[in-house]
Amino acid sequence: MMISRNENERVLIEPSINSVRVSIKIKQSDEIESILVDKFTRFLTKRAENFLILRRTPIPDYDISFLLTNYHNEVMMKNKLIDFIIEFMEDVDKEISEMKLFLNSRARFVAEAYLSVFD
Amino acid sequence: MLQLQPQNLLVEEAIGQAFAPDYTPVFLDRIITDFDFTTYHLSTPESKTKLLLSISIKCWNDLVNYGVKELLLSKYSKYPFIQQAQPEYGYDYSLYIDVEQATFSDEEEKQQLIAELSLLKRNCFAAPFLQAFQRYEVLSKEQPVDPNNLYGEDSPNNSNEQVLQLHYRDMESIYIKPSNDRVTVIFSTVFQDDTDKIFSKVFLQEFSDARKRSIQKAPQVINSHQEIPLEIKHLEAANTHNKTYITFVLFPRHLSTEDVKWNSITHIQLFRSYFHYHIKIVKCYLHQRMRFRVNSFTKILNRARRDVDDEEHRSERKTASGRRFEMRA
Repeated sequence: MMISRNENERVLIEPSINSVRVSIKIKQSDEIESILVDKFTRFLTKRAENFLILRRTPIPDYDISFLLTNYHNEVMMKNKLIDFIIEFMEDVDKEISEMKLFLNSRARFVAEAYLSVFD
Repeated sequence: MLQLQPQNLLVEEAIGQAFAPDYTPVFLDRIITDFDFTTYHLSTPESKTKLLLSISIKCWNDLVNYGVKELLLSKYSKYPFIQQAQPEYGYDYSLYIDVEQATFSDEEEKQQLIAELSLLKRNCFAAPFLQAFQRYEVLSKEQPVDPNNLYGEDSPNNSNEQVLQLHYRDMESIYIKPSNDRVTVIFSTVFQDDTDKIFSKVFLQEFSDARKRSIQKAPQVINSHQEIPLEIKHLEAANTHNKTYITFVLFPRHLSTEDVKWNSITHIQLFRSYFHYHIKIVKCYLHQRMRFRVNSFTKILNRARRDVDDEEHRSERKTASGRRFEMRA
């Protein structure tokens, strides 16, 4: 099952007999965002062991994959897991755009600081 | 620390100590590195009261062509206790300072000397800039600025003007071109990392825009990522290493008095270091931020972890048809 807002933002949910795989493509509108997404997902997947449900490599064309198996369903509450995935999707977009804004404002600040000493 | 300091802190400190009234002479042998493959060597080869300060700069040969020796001589020869020594082996320029002979009329003079010595690198790099500024003064007298030239076009006579080149790093250079109403300084720089390169685009965009927005006094900044600027087209055959070119246009207001000139030189020659330094800082900050965010995600996930309760557990495990599993004892 695929749910997509547009070409660049989509979620793929693949059910099977004892597991569900959820893959997310995070919005990337320019090269800065794609770098930030890439770094961020790399950061997450490197810590996959703390994250139980996270796959180390996302499936092709997506940025990040979660695999929910029956084992996870046993140790965790189902509704909380769903909450987590939804919260994750919301926060990632927010985080990426905040980082981008930060980068721009920092760049502006640095440039002005450098240029203002000329007189 | 937003601005980088043009002087070398370690040199400043060591020399400051040596000139302090309660200084007990010690044996010194320090190698100090600075930006752009510059190395200082501070030592006491003969006696503990005679300091030898040597500097090695990667593009020394370029600097010699642009009169660095004369400049340094004029800077340091007014102090009788400083000798222009034969350059130490492996270094390009040496100053021999006799601490015992040093006499100052007042504290201010002493501080000024300490500052001048710790600015040795800047003074070396200043030579080509000063030469370009002189040439600009000659040109502007020969050919006064045409007030009708509203669009700031470069006049045709200037295109043959010699471009001063400094190959100050392996693949990176500074080009300085004087003309009758401006001095153009072009940096070429290379990024090892693709991420840095993209961040640099953001930064350079802001550098170009800053002038339009608020700081009208600043030099104009033009950047180009692939194309070689026209001023140096005849010097660089092709953009082989994916260099980025940054052009600074210094207007007459940046060259009006001696103080302003030195201020411009000091800042412009630090540009590359400043630029790379801030890209690193931003990366570092983003890294921290991501680490924090990942931690908070882990917390959210852990909230989902249930307290193991067997009874409840069993009741939730069902088959597709809704029947429960019964464990066989």
